[in-house]
Parts: sequence; C-alpha cells; structure tokens
Amino acid sequence: MRTRAALLLLWLCSAPLAAAQERLHYPARPEPGQATTGQLVIHGALDLGHIRPLLASFHRQHPDIALTYRNLDTLPLYERFLAAPDEVDVLISSAMPWQYRLANDGHAQPLDSAAAAAWPDWARWRQELFAFTFEPVVMVVRRELIERFGRPESHADLLALLQAHGDALAGRVVTYDPSRSGAGYTYAIEESRLSPRYWDLVAAFGQARAHLVDTTGEMLTGLAEGRYWLGYNLLGSYARQVVERDPALEMVIPDDYALVTQRLALIPRQAPHPRSARRFLDYLIGLAGQRVIAEQTALGAVHPGLDGPGTADHLRATHGEALRPLALGPGLLATLDDLKRQALLARWRREFSRGGAAGD
Amino acid sequence: MIRRDSLYRRLLTWLLLPLLALGGLMVLQAWMDARRTADRAYDRLLEAATLAIAEQVQWQEQRLWLDLPPAALEMLATDAEERVFYALHDAQGRYVTGNAELPGDPREVGERADGLLYRDIVWHGLALRQGVRRGRLEDWRQRERFEVRVAHTREGRERLAAELLRGNLAYILTMAALAVVILLLAIRAALAPLTRLRRAIRARDPRTLSPLALSLPRELAELRETLNDLLARMRRVRANQERFIGDASHQLRTPLAGLSARAELALRQDDPARWREALEAMHTTSVRTSRLAIQLLSLTRLDNPEYRPELASLDLNALARQAVRTHWNACHRDAVDLGVEASPAPVTIMGLDWQLEEALGNLIDNARRYGARHITVRTHASPPTLEVEDDGPGIPAERRLLMLRPFHRGSDDHEGSGLGLAIVDGIARTHGARLILGEGSGARGLRVTLRFPGDTP
Repeated sequence: MRTRAALLLLWLCSAPLAAAQERLHYPARPEPGQATTGQLVIHGALDLGHIRPLLASFHRQHPDIALTYRNLDTLPLYERFLAAPDEVDVLISSAMPWQYRLANDGHAQPLDSAAAAAWPDWARWRQELFAFTFEPVVMVVRRELIERFGRPESHADLLALLQAHGDALAGRVVTYDPSRSGAGYTYAIEESRLSPRYWDLVAAFGQARAHLVDTTGEMLTGLAEGRYWLGYNLLGSYARQVVERDPALEMVIPDDYALVTQRLALIPRQAPHPRSARRFLDYLIGLAGQRVIAEQTALGAVHPGLDGPGTADHLRATHGEALRPLALGPGLLATLDDLKRQALLARWRREFSRGGAAGD
Repeated sequence: MIRRDSLYRRLLTWLLLPLLALGGLMVLQAWMDARRTADRAYDRLLEAATLAIAEQVQWQEQRLWLDLPPAALEMLATDAEERVFYALHDAQGRYVTGNAELPGDPREVGERADGLLYRDIVWHGLALRQGVRRGRLEDWRQRERFEVRVAHTREGRERLAAELLRGNLAYILTMAALAVVILLLAIRAALAPLTRLRRAIRARDPRTLSPLALSLPRELAELRETLNDLLARMRRVRANQERFIGDASHQLRTPLAGLSARAELALRQDDPARWREALEAMHTTSVRTSRLAIQLLSLTRLDNPEYRPELASLDLNALARQAVRTHWNACHRDAVDLGVEASPAPVTIMGLDWQLEEALGNLIDNARRYGARHITVRTHASPPTLEVEDDGPGIPAERRLLMLRPFHRGSDDHEGSGLGLAIVDGIARTHGARLILGEGSGARGLRVTLRFPGDTP
C-alpha cells in the first residue's frame, strides 16, 4: 500500500495552490484560575488564508488550547499521516478519495456529539468523516474571450466554442493535467462517469492545444497575466478570491453541471489529544464555525441552519440542479484503483491527442 | 443458605431450572438463526459485488485488467455505511489491484456453480465478512484464472441479526412467561389436596381419634391411611389407659371402703381391745393400700413412653444379695427359705438400681404371698440374667401372658394387687431385657427370668 502511495506521489498534487510547509501557532492563554491547558495539532490541505479566520475564532472561544496548524499538500499529508498516525489530532484534506480511504481503513474515530448527529447525511460518513465545505468546480474566462465569442455558460457552450474556434483559441485554454494532478484526475473520472460527451470535450481541448498544469494557482496566475483566456475546472473557492479582485476575469459556474468538492475532516484513532480534537471538529461543523466559513472565507458553509451568501444552500438556490457534489461513498475508493487510473489516463491521453491530431 | 424446605419450592425449582435452561437454549438457537439469516441475506451482496467485479476482469496489455465498477463497492457499503475492501488476485495468488491485500481463502470451491466462498475474518483489527469468487477469463485464447476477494464490516448484518433476534426474543419471552404462569398454577393445583389434608387435620378436635374421611389422590391417600392407622393405635392405647384407670380406682376403692367400714364398726364399740384390734386391721389395710398406690404410680411411670431414664453400670450379684438381705426378715417370719445363688463372676449390666430392686422385691413378695416355701434369687453371667425361682403353685402355661396385664390376679386372692408382674414387665422393657415366665425346677413353682441384652466380659 505504501509503495503504491509513493507511486501516486509522481502524479498527485491536488492542493491547488502548492505551498511549502506553512505553519500557524496559537499559544495557550489559560484564564486565571484555570490550570489545565490543552494541545491541538491540525494538519490540513487548506491555505492559511482560508483557515486563519477559523482558527482565530476557535482560539478566541478556547484560549486554553495551544493550537498548531500545518498546511501540507494533500499527498504529503496522507503519507505523513500513515507514517505517524499518532502525531495529529485533526486531519483536513480536499483529496476526498484519500480521506475516505483513511476512514474506510479504520484510521478515524467517531465523533458523538449533537452537532455530528445533526450534520446532513450526504456530508458525512459513519460519524467519522465530515464534509464541512462546499466548493464548486468552475470555469474562469477573460473579458477578451467574452467580447469575441460570448460567455460560455455550460459545458455544451464550451464544447461548441472549442469546436468552432479551436484554432483561434489555440494555446489560450488551460486545465488540469489529470496524470499529474490528483484533483484533475478526480474531476476527470467523475465527469467521464457523468457523460460520455466528456470525451468530446477532452478531444476539443486537444484540438485547442490546451495547456495542462498542476494547480488552480497556476491557472489563475496565467489567466491574470493574460496568457490564457479560459481556465477549465478551477477550484471555486480559490478562483472567487482572484476574480473578485481582477475585473478582467469572470467566474462561470456551468449551468448544465458543476462538480462540487468538499473538504473532509476526521479525527485519527490515535489522536494524541482527542478531547481537543473533538472540540475543534465540533466547532468546525457547529453553527459558529460554519458561520465563520460562510462570512469570512470562500469555502462555502454546509450547515443546514445557514442560508445567505457563502453557503451551500445559497449556491443551491442560485444553481440548483446543476450542482453535482462528489458522492461521499465507496465510489471514491474506485477512483483510487491503480488499473482504473491507468485505464482512464490512457483513454484521456488518447482522446486528447486524437483531438490534437485532428486539429493539426 | 438456610431455608425451610418446601414441596412447592422444590417442584418450582426442578421445573423452572430445566425450563430456564431450555429457554436459554432457545435464545441461543434464535441468535444463531438470526445471524445465519442475516449472513445469508448480506452474502447476496458479496455475491453480486464479486460478480460485478469479475465481469469487468479482462486480459489487456499481457496482464489481468480490471475496470472497477464503483457500483460494486456501493453495493457492499449498503445503507449501514460499511467499510469495504476488494482485491483482484491472479492464478498464482499475486495481488493485481485493490484497496487492501485481503487474505485468500484456503478452502477449495466445491462443484458449486457460483464458485463462491464466504467466511468471517479479522483483518487489521476489523471483523469482516469476506467473499471470494474464483473465475476464469472467457477470452478467445486466454483462459487465465483469477480470484476476486471482497470484504465488508459486519455492522449491517449485526443490526439485522439483532432486529431478528429482538422479534424472536419477544416471542420466546412471552412463551416463557406463559409457561411460568401455567407452571405456578399447575403446581398450586397439584398441591391443593395437601392443603386440604392439612386443613382437615388442623380443624379436628384434639380429642377426636376417629379416622380421617377425605377423598385424596393416591399418593396422599396412602398418607391418610397411615395416619388412620396411627389414630387407631392411639384409640387402643387410650382404651387401655381408660380401663387401667377404671381398674385402679376400683382397686383403691375396695380397701378404702373396707377401712371406712372397719372404722365405723370400731366406733360403735367401747372396748379399747376391740379398738386396738380394729386399728391393727386398719393398719394392715392401709399399708396394703399405700403399697398399691406406690405400685400404681411406678406402673404409670414405666408405661410412659416418654420416660427414658439414664442407665448406670451396676452389678447384678450385689443387687441380688442386697434384695435377699432386705426381704430376709419378712420371709423368715413366714418361715420361707430365701437364698441367693450368685454367679461366681461379677455380672455387670447397664440399669437402674432402684427399678431392679423393686422388680426383685415384687417377685420375692409375690412368691412369698402365693405360698412358696423356698425362694432362690439367682444370677448368671452369660447372658446376664436375673432369676427368681420358687416352689409355689406356679402359673399354668396358658395363663402366663395374661399375668402380665395389670390387675390380673393368679387366683381369687385378696392380698395382691395384681400389679406385681405387670410392673416387672415394665421394668424389663425399660432395660431392654426379656421377661420369661417358666416352671421351676422339678416342674414345680414359678421361675421368672430377666435376660439382659449384651454379654459380660
């Protein structure tokens, strides 16, 4: 299992904004008369910018807990956890299949609390794995493209656009390389499952000689610099922040279908500070933490008691039927199957180069 | 545990314990059944999942190839959110793909068409149910064998089994409760005649000795008959006692009436010589009467079955000599020859000296009174025996037993009370000795033998 995980390292890099190890630390400030202080170690694949408001708010509520947060890429996070499963109290990752696999293999302990019991069924698994964000996968387009060809509102629009103006857009389109990015691979397998027309889209990307990159961050940089006019399958939570600051960019949530990915949190069975861990997870899926997510981050709150901008309910109200959250179930395990991955990547390369060959 | 023994409790225990054991067995059986049923139901999922996976196994790029259908795993997960594991192995047992290197199943698939093996395993601390399907490729040229192994946790099965068991348990408990109630009623009904018998006995007047007339089941009827036997014996004893009391009062009345008549007669006269004569006569009568009263008393005492005196070791030779000394004067006056023939060895027995003295006294007295000229007190060592032999008229053999009854006199004799031999008999019984009435030597007179139990050394 370990060796295969190491093989995955070659192609996996699902944290869109790749970062070296970043660390946040909140020392404990015990209140007078309160002798005990707790410890809490969180490893997450979640940028400091997104997690900081959450941690700060939690720390205000529980100043007696010394809090350490390490931001890791999803695969190092997974690897490091397997190497030392008793080092971390809460594990947060956007790599849903890997998190699911940890829970499936019995590495997580259940959380029995009121908040956990009230958490919607579709966003949890066995009281062990909790999906606490709601992030659509989006397209980002530049104003130049909208002005020349109109704004693509759906995958069908995009396919038509690429097929009609493939030459004009040559080199101007960017998306994930599924063979190198775990997130890109996860989306690819999910989209191919949704519709066989996905392969036409891949062929069209090939025809448009699309650039294939590793992370959402790279795509956003290229788009902001004007190198690309259209980015496909960007993580909405990251894209939103950039698009809001850059008037040249527009974010499109496709109206035929839009994948939604969720960050999954779990408490390892061998967590060194399980009490603090339970308090943090309880906070994360409680009304307070979810309100911070809705109001101070672009991650999207899941809590059914919240509606308004920045929540899943709000996104559902505006995009309704189109949203396709990745099912939190054993189907995720199929995603991790070696042979399946090889088969899908082979097909992807074939379709991509077929389009490219046709275009040449 | 000290507890009053009770038939009711005993019956209840011996019926309830097996019933409970039986109930326990039924619960165990129900639990095993529930598990089996749940396993059978959920094993279908393993079957379907392995089939779905096996159908996707192909030969591609010179190796086994699997396009894993996610639905197969979804199927295994069920709504109990089970943990699921799967693996594909080739003909040599080498791992091809999967999310866990599950152990193989050493068993051989029989000739069953589906070629599936199920078993419970513990893998990395997880209790799993594993299904193994052995198949082979049906390609044009390739006939490669392969093995699909899937497993999932048992939570759904256990939930279903618990549900089934709950249903069965409710049924079993209801039956058990019903059985217990019926049992209680049945035991109560079966023991009711006993209660009736008890009430009937308790309700009786303590003086009534009439037999119990009560219809009872066979087992208790035997008890009733035994009770009635006892009552009949008690009736006889009481009749005896009543007769004894009647006889005794009659015996006492006669000398008392004589005394008062004699006194009356004397009072009518003035001659002091007459008075003296009367007083002497009255003295004799009163002595006899008081002796009678003493004999009656000792007889009552001897007849009391509750009376268990403490026996002490004593020597019969000494006893015999003492008796001869005591009675020698009286005998000498009547010109009766009283002698002792003691055994050369000491004859030691367990007994009460005063009783034996009285017995000897009675026997010597009797012999003297009935006209014996020679009285011999004899002892033998083995077996320990005390004998009094006289040369008086003796008792005919057919009347000897009658002589042992109180107030039965040998002849029309007015002197004796008719209690002497009865008292001796009572004393013999107290000592566990045998009383034998026989003829004296030379077929004359009477020989009374007391043979004590045991041997003297």
